[in-house]
Amino acid sequence: MTTEDAAVDDDGGRKHPQVHFDRHTPDYRDRFEDITHELHGQCPIAWTETHGGHWVASGNREVFELARSAEFLSNDHDVKGERRGYKGISIPPPPRASEAQGGFLEMDPPDQRYYRQTLNPYLSPAAIQRWIPFVDEVVRASIDEKIESGHIDFVDDLANIVPAVLTLAMMGIPIERWTIYNEPAHASVYTPPNSPDRERVLDLSRKMGMDLMGQLMEIRKVPRPGLVDALVRADLNGRTPDDGELLGVLALLIGGGFDTTTALTAHALEWLSQNPEDRDRLSRDRKTLLDSATEEFLRFYTPAPGDGRTFSADCEIAGTEFKEGERLWLSWAMANRDPSVFPDPDTIDMERKGNRHSSFGLGIHRCIGSNVARTVFKRMVTAVLDRMPDYRCDAEGAVHYETIGVIQGMRHLPATFTPGKRLGAGLDETLAELQKVCDEQRLAEPVTVRKSTARIGT
Amino acid sequence: MKVRVDPERCQGHTLCAMRAPDTFELSEIDGHSSVVQEEVPADQESDVREAVLSCPERAISVIS
Repeated sequence: MTTEDAAVDDDGGRKHPQVHFDRHTPDYRDRFEDITHELHGQCPIAWTETHGGHWVASGNREVFELARSAEFLSNDHDVKGERRGYKGISIPPPPRASEAQGGFLEMDPPDQRYYRQTLNPYLSPAAIQRWIPFVDEVVRASIDEKIESGHIDFVDDLANIVPAVLTLAMMGIPIERWTIYNEPAHASVYTPPNSPDRERVLDLSRKMGMDLMGQLMEIRKVPRPGLVDALVRADLNGRTPDDGELLGVLALLIGGGFDTTTALTAHALEWLSQNPEDRDRLSRDRKTLLDSATEEFLRFYTPAPGDGRTFSADCEIAGTEFKEGERLWLSWAMANRDPSVFPDPDTIDMERKGNRHSSFGLGIHRCIGSNVARTVFKRMVTAVLDRMPDYRCDAEGAVHYETIGVIQGMRHLPATFTPGKRLGAGLDETLAELQKVCDEQRLAEPVTVRKSTARIGT
Repeated sequence: MKVRVDPERCQGHTLCAMRAPDTFELSEIDGHSSVVQEEVPADQESDVREAVLSCPERAISVIS
């Protein structure tokens, strides 16, 4: 990163200070801490010419103030050119041909609020609490597949499976179909546009889209509880959304539900392997330590490192003047490393106090799946601590995403451990059994309809 | 010590109830927080202070 001369600015020096900032390069991942602290020190809000020109907010106070200024910021992705042509939350925006509105994360109130009100009763802490026995059973079966061998890939064999199966179950989609959704949900994030694998991934994404569309039409015809049902029957203040809009919402739920939790879990398990004393302590003191450790892993690894916005009016926020139409990158990941809020920010402290991280975003767009993410993460990690307490990750085999512009994720995390005993049926058989439980107990109803916790094996 | 949650600022991050479950309760519908009782018992004061510092939206205030 270099701070450039403000005189090159054609806007009277307003776009100042200018930096070269490109979060889509491997260099940004490799030098994340240096770049972050340079930005904090010199320009917690800066202008960069990359990707069509945009502001970058990295300071904690600046990100906080900006993110909470909903009256001046828009998430709108105006794909059909019906409003002001804003480009949503991705910087740069996707190519014109594959542009689609990313659900309510690319909407402004009031529509954004109507959607959240529709889905909240499926995703609140009380709603998620009911799913814990279901989650534990998927975790148990995933681990059972590997426990006798002494080898596991924490990404492929655990952290990909559990979030995928739970997300589909909550949506009301048959859980055996998780493999149709799993590969494209992750590969479309980590496969660069110029990769030879891109066509294959696009093809898988199309197949996933077709399956989603099929589910949508089926559930519209024959009601089946879950998030899809809530959406096809939603009354958005008198408006009935079309299928394209609903598909965008469903894709958002899958994008949000799959890759992010996988990313958090893999990174935490990798760190715990590198710090076995902390791992033992977390296992031993989990009653008091698990909550704060989870928040610390969220802060440190920030699976979704930021969001784009568009200024919807001229304004001055945190001491900088912005003009309507300008683009802004809110870096949750860099705000999470600001030493003015987080002492010793580049160190993981499982007991960290005052950990007001922004890993689920800030303001009205707070990650609607945050309660799902925390719960699934905790159940997976504690099961690993219980059943393979001496696991060792294989540093050679670990594959991190090459860039962290969209998700800070991992593709593989192989590990070895002292083999143990299976506790029950394998994954396929377990999923078939759990599908029956889902259907019979109507687990995917909102918490307003069904209060009781899932009962497994009774 | 008295504690309040600003319902306009709270976005349902749920950290307050994690830190001080006897003081804050979460809506069953959307996880947004409210206080069980404004007056904080002495033995909960430090948990409540920690909840104030943990709130990502800075939605909690205390008056002592």
